[in-house]
Amino acid sequence: MSARWLAGKVGAAALTLLFVLIFNFFLFRAVGDPTTQLARLPGATDAEIAQLREDYGLDKPLFGQFVDYLGDTARLDLGVSQKSREEVWDEILHALPWTLLLVGTGTLLATLIGSWMGVVAATKRGTKTDDGLLGFSLFTYAAPEYWIGIILILVFAVWLPWFPAGQQVTPGVEFTSWFAEAWNVVDHLVLPATAMTLMLLGQYFLIMRSSMVDVMTEDFITVKRAIGLPRERVINRHAVPNALLPLVTISAIQFGAVAGGAITIETIFSWPGLGELSYNAIADKDYPMLQGTFLVFSFGVIFANLLADCLYFFLDPRVKSK
Amino acid sequence: MSTRTRIVIATLLGTLCAALVLVALPASAQNNGGGSGGNSGGDNGGGSNTPSAPSTGNVLRFGWAQEPDNLNPFVGQNEEDFTVWSINWELPIGFSPEDLSPTSAIVKDWEVSEDRKTVTMTLERGLKWSDGKPITSEDVRWSLEKLGGEGVLFTSYTDGITKMETPDPQTLVLHTKRPDARLVGGLYVYVLPKHVWAKVPPDELTGQYKPELPMVGSGPYIVTEYEKGRITRMERNPEWRGEPGPYDQIQFIKYGTQDAVERALQLGEIDMIGEVEAGSYARLGEQENVDTNSSPTPAYTQLAFNLCPEKLCPDAQFNPAVQDQTVRQAIAYAVDREKINEIAARGTSFVANGILPSYYKAFYTEPEQTYPYDPDLANQMLDDAGWTMNGDGIREKDGETASFDVYVRSESPSNIQAAKLIAEMTKEIGVEFNVQVVSTDKLYDLTVRKQDGKPAPAFDTFIWGWGGDPYDPSFLLSILTTGEIGGSSDSFYSNPEYDRLYREQTGLFDTEARKEVIAKMINITQEDLPYLVLTEDPALQAYRTDRIEKIAPICPEETGDLFCDSVSPQGVIALEPIAGASTEVGAGNPGLAALIGLAVGFLAGVLVTRHRGRNREPLELPE
Repeated sequence: MSARWLAGKVGAAALTLLFVLIFNFFLFRAVGDPTTQLARLPGATDAEIAQLREDYGLDKPLFGQFVDYLGDTARLDLGVSQKSREEVWDEILHALPWTLLLVGTGTLLATLIGSWMGVVAATKRGTKTDDGLLGFSLFTYAAPEYWIGIILILVFAVWLPWFPAGQQVTPGVEFTSWFAEAWNVVDHLVLPATAMTLMLLGQYFLIMRSSMVDVMTEDFITVKRAIGLPRERVINRHAVPNALLPLVTISAIQFGAVAGGAITIETIFSWPGLGELSYNAIADKDYPMLQGTFLVFSFGVIFANLLADCLYFFLDPRVKSK
Repeated sequence: MSTRTRIVIATLLGTLCAALVLVALPASAQNNGGGSGGNSGGDNGGGSNTPSAPSTGNVLRFGWAQEPDNLNPFVGQNEEDFTVWSINWELPIGFSPEDLSPTSAIVKDWEVSEDRKTVTMTLERGLKWSDGKPITSEDVRWSLEKLGGEGVLFTSYTDGITKMETPDPQTLVLHTKRPDARLVGGLYVYVLPKHVWAKVPPDELTGQYKPELPMVGSGPYIVTEYEKGRITRMERNPEWRGEPGPYDQIQFIKYGTQDAVERALQLGEIDMIGEVEAGSYARLGEQENVDTNSSPTPAYTQLAFNLCPEKLCPDAQFNPAVQDQTVRQAIAYAVDREKINEIAARGTSFVANGILPSYYKAFYTEPEQTYPYDPDLANQMLDDAGWTMNGDGIREKDGETASFDVYVRSESPSNIQAAKLIAEMTKEIGVEFNVQVVSTDKLYDLTVRKQDGKPAPAFDTFIWGWGGDPYDPSFLLSILTTGEIGGSSDSFYSNPEYDRLYREQTGLFDTEARKEVIAKMINITQEDLPYLVLTEDPALQAYRTDRIEKIAPICPEETGDLFCDSVSPQGVIALEPIAGASTEVGAGNPGLAALIGLAVGFLAGVLVTRHRGRNREPLELPE
């Protein structure tokens, strides 16, 4: 990988991150004075409000606050939650693995199933299979995720009580082995991960299908068929690898973006990840927590984009040659 | 055999094998288990339980969508904090579950001096904290001084105390500047173990301090686990002074949304909900094995008017017509509070008459003026007062128009609906209300706005609510005193007679005498109408009838809530689990097993087919 090319990409990502940092700082100061929420106490005096402002560094000039904020963020000090009085970073670290588990499982399954469906639809273009898969994908793509989540809960947790309707693990139970706990987590993961998969499936399917359709009309595919290679082999060995290119990058980019998009699914399924953390922070007007989760989501998207660029470099010789 | 048939057969076989193995695995993992479990088992009754804890005792499971902030009473502000604190710690003087009157808790009895400025409290002998250390008068003194002095929600209860003495470990003497009846029946400050909390630096107490677990307490249960976003677990306090609670554990389980909590109750994941939404209350009550309970609380929802006088608020922004008493009274007659309850609160609230909820049985008297719905009388009053209709059907007088903004919080759909109903109802009398939906922050800003250090509220009217203490009504009554302008007062009402009566009632230890004074105060505010109180807000609760045997509203008896929420630990003790209501655990989850089996089987089918197919492929031509 050319160092110059990489430096350019990293520089662009760093610039975007800096913009996000600045935006993040001013956004949460534009929505109002954070002490308004803190000071809503019976009989809070002006002196107490002034003390609160001092405690949160809000008595300083805006530029001074901004410099403090940059320094604190660089040290991963995202402040203290106004609600729980815990370090925002600690709470984010606590929630992050659950989001990664949910988003990771959902993205992986959506990529695998979506691309497989895309290949099937493209190779059977114009048939009923193609129409059916296209209709199904468009339906799940268009359906709001909260609706999908509620339907899954109604069917598989209420009518057919096969899976838990929420939480990441059965609360209040002490597990005697890691396996029992892991199994319990998988049990709880099924419905939210299915909802996440259905939410993402459509776009992977559509990308893979159109990409495959393009590749299948390329001359080299005709040549492969002409030299007598079996159809399955042509598809699996030659068409799919070429068609996968846009899917890989989309998956990487999506992985960063869906972390933020998991808010609805996490809330519906009481999944204690970053999404639910953000949802509660919005409900509680916990500005430091909102600022923290917003930053992590933004960082996720920027990092995933950078990763996608790097992957493209390796996967697509045209980029290398440039 | 075709490829498709082979895939199907392989998938089915794989599914069957994987399902058998996967169903067996968690069951065997669990059989090794020990520890504590629950009568309510776990997730939905469909057998998706794979926990490894056998049922060795009874567990009461509550569900909630909000959870305690962090359990530190110096900083916590959520209702859920109070639910847990009131079970973990006792107050100096408790509330009787029968009628909420003051009753012995940590303090066995008390004596009021002749001048009513000194209260001598005698502690129950032999009381111990859950860690075995004795509970002494020094614990009570320290708690009143520190928690009552610095705890954000507790400072107002001790402001009358001038001196505290502890002549011996069983006695506490409280001195006040003026007689203060709140010391008996209104001292809403939890007694904390000084030997635990005094070790923490004061800055930390009001900062990031998280209580150590188990949370040493004096109540029947103490917190042994607090995992944010998941569970607050309380277990029996071995040193509890009274009858032991019927449950080995109480679990408070956090769900993402209120919908999820209510669904969990239907599915049997939890036994009780302490707070049901008005919109789903009726539906929940129709579910099998679920019953609901609605009880009055010391809380109400009011339409508040901006009455800030010119000399106090020179820069206030409002329509002066709102300060015309006749207009406010006419509005009161024109608003059908029954209908507001029926529509906005889905019939779950109680129609209010005045600023003291009927919940306060010991002090409540129905006011002389209750403003029954009578739009004709309202029209007549406005006509008589010289308010005439303009071309738009809105009344005018001396250049002023009876057109007001009514602010409501976007977070409260029921308040928004109430505002719309009021706007509709008052159209009939030529009074216009423009409904302004704003955030809670914005409404707060409008009410506390100041200019040059003086209050400058910028609203005509708004709808919001207040909640009071379990027995003593002083807090709710204090809101309308002149002294609270710049503090809790949001109508900026000022009436010297009301202020005088307020001071008088706080000094009366005799309930009947106090009730008479309070009745006068209520009548004054019903005439002046700083607030038109619309509804008394209820506690809506639901529980599983197949899990809880004995459940009778208490605090007060017959009309109270199901477990004396936030008032007394006696409510939880009064519950009785149904014997043998435990859910079987460890059956594995056939749904998950089948799903994984299906995936494994399908993969196996595809691989087998591909392998066989590859062997039959024709030779590849050289490229």
